[in-house]
Amino acid sequence: MNKLDHIQAETAAFHHAPFNEETFRGDYSFHNSAKGIKRFPYPFEQDHYMYSVNIEPHQPGKPGAITEHAFDIDEHYVAECEDKRMTLEQDAGRYAALPHMMDAQWDFLELTMESLARDYPQYFSLLKDGERWTWHNSVLGISDSFIFGDASTLPMEPFEYMGRQTQGDFVLLDQREGTLFADAGFITSQADWSLAFDIGMSWHEWHGPVPQVDKMGIMDRALKFLMSLQQGKPVRRLNWTMTVNPRLDTSPEHYPEWGPDRLTVTAENAGQKAHLRVELQAMFRLPRSNAILFSIRCYLLSLEDMATQPKWIKRFHRVIRDLHPDLLEYKGIKVYHEPLLQWLAPHDDGAVLSEGAQLD
Amino acid sequence: MQAGYWIRSKPIYGGLQWQHKAQAHVIIASGEGGRAVLRLLQQQLPPQAIKVLYLPEAQADHSHALRHMLQDVLGLDLASALSRHDTAAALWLALDEVLTASRMGTRIYAAGDEAFLWQVAAQAALHGVLNADIMREQAASLARAVYCVHCKTISHHVNTNIATCSGCQRQLLVRDHFSRRLGAYMGLMIDAEEPGNVPDILEIYP
Repeated sequence: MNKLDHIQAETAAFHHAPFNEETFRGDYSFHNSAKGIKRFPYPFEQDHYMYSVNIEPHQPGKPGAITEHAFDIDEHYVAECEDKRMTLEQDAGRYAALPHMMDAQWDFLELTMESLARDYPQYFSLLKDGERWTWHNSVLGISDSFIFGDASTLPMEPFEYMGRQTQGDFVLLDQREGTLFADAGFITSQADWSLAFDIGMSWHEWHGPVPQVDKMGIMDRALKFLMSLQQGKPVRRLNWTMTVNPRLDTSPEHYPEWGPDRLTVTAENAGQKAHLRVELQAMFRLPRSNAILFSIRCYLLSLEDMATQPKWIKRFHRVIRDLHPDLLEYKGIKVYHEPLLQWLAPHDDGAVLSEGAQLD
Repeated sequence: MQAGYWIRSKPIYGGLQWQHKAQAHVIIASGEGGRAVLRLLQQQLPPQAIKVLYLPEAQADHSHALRHMLQDVLGLDLASALSRHDTAAALWLALDEVLTASRMGTRIYAAGDEAFLWQVAAQAALHGVLNADIMREQAASLARAVYCVHCKTISHHVNTNIATCSGCQRQLLVRDHFSRRLGAYMGLMIDAEEPGNVPDILEIYP
């Protein structure tokens, strides 16, 4: 008890922490600070985009970069956790775990608690007394003591418990029969795929709807790579799509709510309405279960904010202009492609841009 | 169908063929699937025990032909080779009993409409049988079971590219994305972006 009081006193000083007051629905008051724009994971290294197995080690990046820590906690933390809570309240099926995944659930809890407490000691703390662990999240005001390995001592299943307190979506992949199965998920900010439908699917079934990749053998190579992923050597890649309005919950379940937004994009409002949505996908081998954690952390950037960085907006114009028709369809851009290009074109003077995604 | 590319979760079915490395053979069929079983029985018979579980349907009852084939032509003991059931519940109970008693190396064959094939898979999974270890033949109808991603209801016997959800009444585009666990294709509201803009409804899964 003394230890905990001490921690609480220590963390109380951070209650005015720099988290945005904002929403990802309704009035869509989501916004990026100038710092948030600069650290945005801009994914385009060249003027043309096609899939590749762009996997690299998930090593700590520079201080302040989104890759500085295993799990990035940023200015959107509080609003995103609140959005998760609302989505789960509307549709409990966004969290699902098949019964054989309990070891992987504890692996997930351990990895996230240890990472957050180590990397953000001003917000989170973890005390271990044998199997009795005490977790303290001073940002969300959560404090719980529980027995590691005994789910009945937590208010909910361990995967859901930490899924609610960590930004991003999470899938736990079970490795068997020469492939990976999506056997548990916490999915509240997905780019149009359904956990309730896809749970239990094998790697190739789950990625079935992704166009253009099959003939390139990308999924086979990515699977082979992931099957041999080693503990302590996580990897990452970036993926992207576009979203109209800064909405995290672009699920097929709620498609009737957000689908019509695509028709509201005009050459005048595209700068505020259209957002580049980048996923930082990181993959970790888990020690007890031998499962793989697939984390999908979503970053949103309005085109107006992107235009503060000339290299980014010029290149984006070229990427969107020349994107393969199958990808335009798959990413849902086709219906507003024209007004989008009308907004982008004046930002692009055709100048030759340097290779790589970094800002000049 | 989705134009331009093929969705890899869409199961592809062939015709039933004996798996000769086996301890025993369990064949389960409904309705028109009985004809697929008769075709299988025309192939050179394996030496191991054969058991056929059959659920006839009003429009497709091959019980007589199966009985003649197994008993009169192949000379098998009908009591052990054929069990015919009048209800689906009785069929699943019988399958459970057979799988409980069966050993490693029992081959499983399923023939019927698509929803039936994946019901067999779900039942067999309770006994540790993997999807990959079941042979399947989609007999007769191409009708689809469609899972509404919005209200989570499954509509059965869908013959068209767009179907009305039996739960929420939305008009659903029937995609090729298939869940083996649910035994159903994904249905996604077709006119969400522009309410009322529904393309022609075409019978393409007769």
